[in-house]
Amino acid sequence: MNGVTVARNGQIENFIPPEGVPITFVLASRGARVGAQVLDIIITFGGTLAFILLLAWSGVLGLAPLMALYLLLTFFIRIPYYIFAELVWNGRTLGKRIVRIRVISADGRRLTPHQIVARNLMKEVEVFLPITTLFAAADLNTWVGIAIAVWMILVLLVPFFNRKRQRFGDMIADTLVVEMPQAVLLRDLSESPKNESSQFVFNPEHLEIYGQYELQVLESILREPPKSQEGYDRVREVSRMIIKKIGYTDPVPQIDEWKFLLEFYKQQRGFLENRHLFGDSRRDKFHADRQKNSDPDG
Amino acid sequence: MSALPQDRDAETATLRSARFRKEREAGWKRLEKLIAVAEKSGIRRLTYRETLELSGLYRQAVNSLSAARAISLDKALLTYLDRLCARAYLVVYAPQESIGDAVWRLFAQGIPQAVRRSGVALLVGFLAMGLGALLGYTLFQRDPSWFFTFVPAELAAGRTPEASAAYLRETLYDTSNRSGAALSVFASFLFSHNTQIAILIFALGIFAALPSFILTFYNGLLLGPFVAIFVNAGLGFDLFGWLSIHGVTELAAICIACAGGARLGLAVLLPGRLSRRAALRDNGRDAVKLLILAGLMLIVAGLVEGFLRQLIQATEWRLIIGWGLGLMWLGWLTLAGRTGAAR
Repeated sequence: MNGVTVARNGQIENFIPPEGVPITFVLASRGARVGAQVLDIIITFGGTLAFILLLAWSGVLGLAPLMALYLLLTFFIRIPYYIFAELVWNGRTLGKRIVRIRVISADGRRLTPHQIVARNLMKEVEVFLPITTLFAAADLNTWVGIAIAVWMILVLLVPFFNRKRQRFGDMIADTLVVEMPQAVLLRDLSESPKNESSQFVFNPEHLEIYGQYELQVLESILREPPKSQEGYDRVREVSRMIIKKIGYTDPVPQIDEWKFLLEFYKQQRGFLENRHLFGDSRRDKFHADRQKNSDPDG
Repeated sequence: MSALPQDRDAETATLRSARFRKEREAGWKRLEKLIAVAEKSGIRRLTYRETLELSGLYRQAVNSLSAARAISLDKALLTYLDRLCARAYLVVYAPQESIGDAVWRLFAQGIPQAVRRSGVALLVGFLAMGLGALLGYTLFQRDPSWFFTFVPAELAAGRTPEASAAYLRETLYDTSNRSGAALSVFASFLFSHNTQIAILIFALGIFAALPSFILTFYNGLLLGPFVAIFVNAGLGFDLFGWLSIHGVTELAAICIACAGGARLGLAVLLPGRLSRRAALRDNGRDAVKLLILAGLMLIVAGLVEGFLRQLIQATEWRLIIGWGLGLMWLGWLTLAGRTGAAR
C-alpha cells in the first residue's frame, strides 16, 4: 500500500477509490483549516455561553447548578462535539461546513468511526492544550515556560511542515482535509454556433505545431470573451502570434479574429485527440524535439 | 501522416470527444441533482429507486472520467468530471453504520479486544504508577520534607506531615457542608478535569511515550507520600477504604490511558518492519480504544467520588463497592467479545 502523494499546488495524486479510477482532490489551505477551527471554537463556546446566560437571565436555575451545567457542557463541546459532528456530517463540523472543507480517508475508503475519533482525540493535545497554555501566559516567565511555549507553538505548526498538511491526529487516523469539490460544467467550445462550412481551413502542417498545453491555454483564453478594448487587443495579439507560428497564409479579417481562434481551437483539438488515439500524444509545442532526443515510446 | 481531407471535414463537424460528452451529459446532470439532494438533507431523503440510480450513475460517471482522460483534451470537461466524481464519491462512500451500532460494537468487542492485545503497554502503564507510588512512599519515609517537593499546596489541602491524626481522620470521613448542588458541581468538575488529564497522558504518548510515562509516574509520586502520611498516623486501613471506593477505577483508568500513550510511543520507538507512520496508524486503533475506556472509567470514578464516597462512610462498604467495581471492569474486559470478528 503506497498512499497518496501531494503535488506542489496541493492537488492530491493517486487517490484511488474502490472503483480504481483516480479522483483528484485539492488539499484545504492551512488558512481555511485555521479559520474552520476558530469558527468551531466560537460556535461551541459562544453557543454554550449564550445558552448559560439565557438560563441565568430567565432565572430557572440557581447559580450552583448553572455552574455544574456549564462545566459539563464545556466538557462535551471539546472533543465529543467534533467527533459527533464529523460522524453525522461525514467529515464536516459546522466550521468546516462554513469554509467548505471536509475530512476524507487517505486510503480511498469511507471514513471509519475510528479515524474520526482518533483525529479528534489528538486535537486536545495539538490544538486546545497549546492554545490554553499560551493564553494562560502567567507562568511563562521562566526559561522552562518559554521552552514549553516554543514546543507548543511547534506542535501547533506541524501542518505547516509537511506537504500533506496533516496534524498528528491526521497521521494517526490516516486522514486528509480537502476542499469541498464543486462541479460546474462549462460549454464545449468545439460546439460553436453552426457556421456555414468553416470559413478557415487548416492543413495538417498548420496543426502539427502545437500540443496539449497550448491547446488548453487557448481554451482558457476562449472561455472569457473580450469585453473591453484591452480584451480585443489581447485577442488580436494571440491570433497574430498563432498565425505567425503556424505559418497560416490566408487573410484573417480583424472582425473575424475571435471566430478564427474558435475554429483553430476546434480543429487543433480534433487533430490532437486523433493523434492521441493513435498513440502519439503531444504534451506541448516541444514534442518534436523531445521525440528526437528520447526514445519514442516515452 | 494525417487522414484524408474529406474525413477530417466529417470529423470536425462534431469532434469525437464532443459526441462522447453529448451522449452522457444527461446522466451527469441527473447525478448532480441527486448529489445536491443527498448533500443537503442526507442520503436518507432519497427513495430506494433514487439511491439505486445514484450508485449506478456514479459508476457511469467514473467510467466517463476514465474514458474522457483517454480521449478528450477538453480541460473544462475533464475538470468537471473529476469534481463530479469526487462529490459523488463523498456521498456514496459516507459512513453507513448508525452511531448506535458503532457504539455497541465498540463496547461489546472493540474495547475488550484492544485491551487484551495491549499486554506490554498495560504493564508499562501500571508499572509507571506503581513505581512512582513506591518511590514517593520510600522517599517520604526517609525524609518527610520530600512531601513538599512532590505535592503542590493546593492539592494537599492541609493534609501535610504535621497534620494531626484527628484532622486526617476528619478528611476521610467528612460529611459537613455538602448539599446536593455542591455535589453535582464537584462531580462534573472532577470528571472533566480528570478526563482531560487522561487525554493528556494519552496524547502525549506520541512523543515517544516518555511524557505519558512521566506524567503517570508523577501521579504515583503524588500518591506515595499521601499514603505514607496516613499510614504513619495509623489510618492506613481507613485510607485504603477511602481510596478504594473510587481509586480502583480512577487509578486504573489513568494507567490505562498511559498504556494507550505507550502504544503510540512504542509505535514511534519500535516500529518494527513498518514505517513509523504506518506503525502509528496500526497502534492508533487500539490506543484510541484504550483511551475511550479510560475516559469512561474516569466518568464512573468521578460519579462515585462525587456522590457515593461522601454518602457511604463505613470502610467495609467502601472496600466492597470499590473492588466490586474493579472486578466488574476486569470481568468485562477479559470475557467480552471473545467471539465475533475482530476489528
